Amino acid sequence: MTTIDQVRAARSIRSPEVFVVRPGTAGRHLGDWLANGAIAAVFGVLVLLPLGLVLIQTIMPALFDPVNPRMTLDAGALARAFGEPRLLGAIFNSLLLAGGVCVLATSLGAAYAFAMHRTNMPLRGFFVSVPWLVFLTPAYLKGLAWGLLMSPGGYLTQAGVLPDWLSTAFFGPAGLVFIHTFSLFPLPFFVIGGALAGLGSEFEDAARLSGASLGQAWLRINLPLLAPAFALCAIAVFAEVLSDFGLASTIARTSGFGLLTYSIYVAASAYPVDFALAGSQSLVLLLLVLALVLADRLLRRQMTARLISGRSRPARVYGLGHWRWLVAAGCLLVALLALVLPLGAIAVRSVCRTLSAGPAPGNLTLEFLRQALTFNNPSNEALLRSFGFASITALVAAAAAVLLSLRLDRASGVMRPAVLAISLGTVAVPGIVLGFGYILVWNRLPVFRDWPLPHYGDASLLVTGYIGTALPYCLVIILAAVGQLAPNLTDAARLHGAGWTRRVLRIVLPLVAMSVITAFLFTFIRTMFELPMSELLVPVRGPAAPSVIIHLFGKDDDGPGSALSLLAMLLVGAASATIWVSSALPGGEPKLSTSMTSSPTSASW
Amino acid sequence: MSLVVGLTRRAVAAGLAFGLAGLSAAPASAGDLVIYSAVDFGGTVAKAFEAKTGIKVNLVEPGGTGELLGKIAAEGSNPQFDLVWVDGSAILERMLGDKVLQPIPSALIAKGDYNDVGKKLVPASRAFIPTSVSTTSITVNTKKVPADKLPKSFADLLTPDFIGLTGSKDPNLSGPSFQFIAGIFQVMGEDNGKDFFKKLLTDKKSSGFASGGGLNKALLTGDLKAGFSQDSSTYAKIDKGEPLAVIYPSEGVVALPAGIGMSAKTGNAEAAAKFIEFALGKDGQAAMQDGDDTDYYLAPIVNGVAAKKGRATDIKYVYLDGATAGAKEAEWKKWYKDNFVP
Repeated sequence: MTTIDQVRAARSIRSPEVFVVRPGTAGRHLGDWLANGAIAAVFGVLVLLPLGLVLIQTIMPALFDPVNPRMTLDAGALARAFGEPRLLGAIFNSLLLAGGVCVLATSLGAAYAFAMHRTNMPLRGFFVSVPWLVFLTPAYLKGLAWGLLMSPGGYLTQAGVLPDWLSTAFFGPAGLVFIHTFSLFPLPFFVIGGALAGLGSEFEDAARLSGASLGQAWLRINLPLLAPAFALCAIAVFAEVLSDFGLASTIARTSGFGLLTYSIYVAASAYPVDFALAGSQSLVLLLLVLALVLADRLLRRQMTARLISGRSRPARVYGLGHWRWLVAAGCLLVALLALVLPLGAIAVRSVCRTLSAGPAPGNLTLEFLRQALTFNNPSNEALLRSFGFASITALVAAAAAVLLSLRLDRASGVMRPAVLAISLGTVAVPGIVLGFGYILVWNRLPVFRDWPLPHYGDASLLVTGYIGTALPYCLVIILAAVGQLAPNLTDAARLHGAGWTRRVLRIVLPLVAMSVITAFLFTFIRTMFELPMSELLVPVRGPAAPSVIIHLFGKDDDGPGSALSLLAMLLVGAASATIWVSSALPGGEPKLSTSMTSSPTSASW
Repeated sequence: MSLVVGLTRRAVAAGLAFGLAGLSAAPASAGDLVIYSAVDFGGTVAKAFEAKTGIKVNLVEPGGTGELLGKIAAEGSNPQFDLVWVDGSAILERMLGDKVLQPIPSALIAKGDYNDVGKKLVPASRAFIPTSVSTTSITVNTKKVPADKLPKSFADLLTPDFIGLTGSKDPNLSGPSFQFIAGIFQVMGEDNGKDFFKKLLTDKKSSGFASGGGLNKALLTGDLKAGFSQDSSTYAKIDKGEPLAVIYPSEGVVALPAGIGMSAKTGNAEAAAKFIEFALGKDGQAAMQDGDDTDYYLAPIVNGVAAKKGRATDIKYVYLDGATAGAKEAEWKKWYKDNFVP
């Protein structure tokens, strides 16, 4: 959801002057039919078929019965999802939590964006990187880290800064709202930050010249212009919380606060699996998220009177005087709560023998880190394996997204909206559901289970699953960039005799390079920490790092689990930073004019 | 900077090469043994077995028992393992009923040199072959409960000292927990057993743990005073110096065998049989105690094998009626989920 909405937000402020001429006869050609068929096949196999096999069990619960598979219709599970108080409570709790977080995270993200873009507060170079680092830390690690910090015997209690009542209160809805808010504020920061950059100051200046006060200019001019971005953020955050599994399975579960995604996990992690219930609850979740998407579309259609253009406009930076230090202190507090404390807890735990003894001299050890760095150690093998899988996934998903984007950008009819709708749906569905779908497709369906590559039980299927979950994100990032290219660029090249491959390599790719690199890094980082696929499609040759991390924490081996998490984050951080820096260095890939530090997708729009 | 960039580029290239190697590696060959394991000592025993026999073992351990069971359920009639090694007889009986497993050959069972407890754990259905035993006992944090207030029976827990302050695992996600709940119903009767849980587990925060790790953490650092944990996990914690005590209630505790089941579709029956034989032999049993995680603190069921020091073995076991537990499994799990899971 996140990236998709960033894309749409960025599009909401981009210039209307850019237009694309779509060849009207393209769809009639055989080649077009084949290309459309290939796109449909890719999405059908990677997304629709696995998802469909889980969802259809909502009404055909015995479809994969191990003893007597049959296609008997029975909608009992759907009735259960809405009829049982516990399940109904989970839906209600999810909506309640999402509602609270969407208001707070949007407010915090907007305030942070304003501080970064429109004030002269100090250390902006440091603070602007905080949302990125928060955004890239997986939710389950944040949940585990806050567990280490806030439990009654945790680090903050040991440090004497956490009263008992606060510890007790934290493991409830309040704590969940807190963690989600500080986890998700980067999303509004990216979107509203991009909108603020596009807004500039000229409307505000015009209002001031007409006699409006600063407050009036913001209330009457700027905020209404920014309203679509705010609405988009609220919807995106709401959907993120609804579909979150990381905190639902850690903090929410131990808080006794049942959530929809955890109910799906409970239904799906048992023998026998209650596929019917898991499917029906997934359907509820999917419908809720799609309703949000629809609401977003309707909302944006009504807000057609936009005055914001995509041209870069100078923005007024307010001098805050001494207050700028107070603003910096506020941002520092955000950085502390959102990043430093959770990552610090993981780092400290990775060098402590036991949790209860804390970071005391006699309790310190480098053993866990040494194990995770030792070749042939299971943690080390899992780390290297994940690094390789993530690299391949990012490479393939980004390349596939480029090819699909080129095709979709010129596609007519329903293909483009259909693919985008599928992408949105995929992002909304919990990974565990898609993971089960992959098992059903690749281990139970007669044709698929005999395919040599990918094959169930091999790493090839795990990487295919990673690609299936990453492709929608990559596609939306790159499609939006490709959509910005004026067709006369490639038309001119064609008139000069450049073939398709040359046009793509020499014209298209250099112009969308930043988006491709963004998609690559986004996929790389997500894949390193992707949990459900890693667990359900674990290769027989050895697991990926996320399932080892969860396995260790589940056994109460927090120390080795934290050490592996820490090393994984350091590895990902170093690799990503280097790829990004090397691509931006002179002699690296071509740069576009906009810096990525303001928004992950802004470079392309 | 260029040095860092160069080094990291090389690291990325190495990672890619590693990933490609992982992808292109030949799938598990027909001779390799695939074992789905949810017991801590699975890897140790597998390594010892490989060293002794030269037969390659691919050990599959998803994140937790819940994920493993979900994976097996999704594989359904096309199981991809040769052997599955988990705690709890009821789950394995159910898999046999679903024809996911095949009965263990009688000749193989006959090779086990079981002690008296072991002999009672061998199921008539031959759904699995037991390799060790543990149980779910009452675990108490001795810093929070004085010695004179320690419970001696399940009934002793129904006091204000423990009501709402006793933790339990979700049987939907934990095989041992289902075995425990089925055992309580067997000892107390289903109605009384349900009444017992309803009176005791009044806080959903502490009655739906997915794993023993979470429950132990809540006992050590949270508000809980007692919990229903696997005794082996408590012994492991006690050995690490944690203030816990294991209490075997006077009503008796349900025996929780760790058992190996054989896939109905295994193509490696011979290697699978060798592995089972190894696990029940001297070397396999030694490997099963060669570690300090939970399951290594098992109670042996093979003659001549001693338990780790300090681990009780003279326990009043209740042996689960697998047929009843299997038949009621879905109903009891749902009842628990509806009443005690957040």
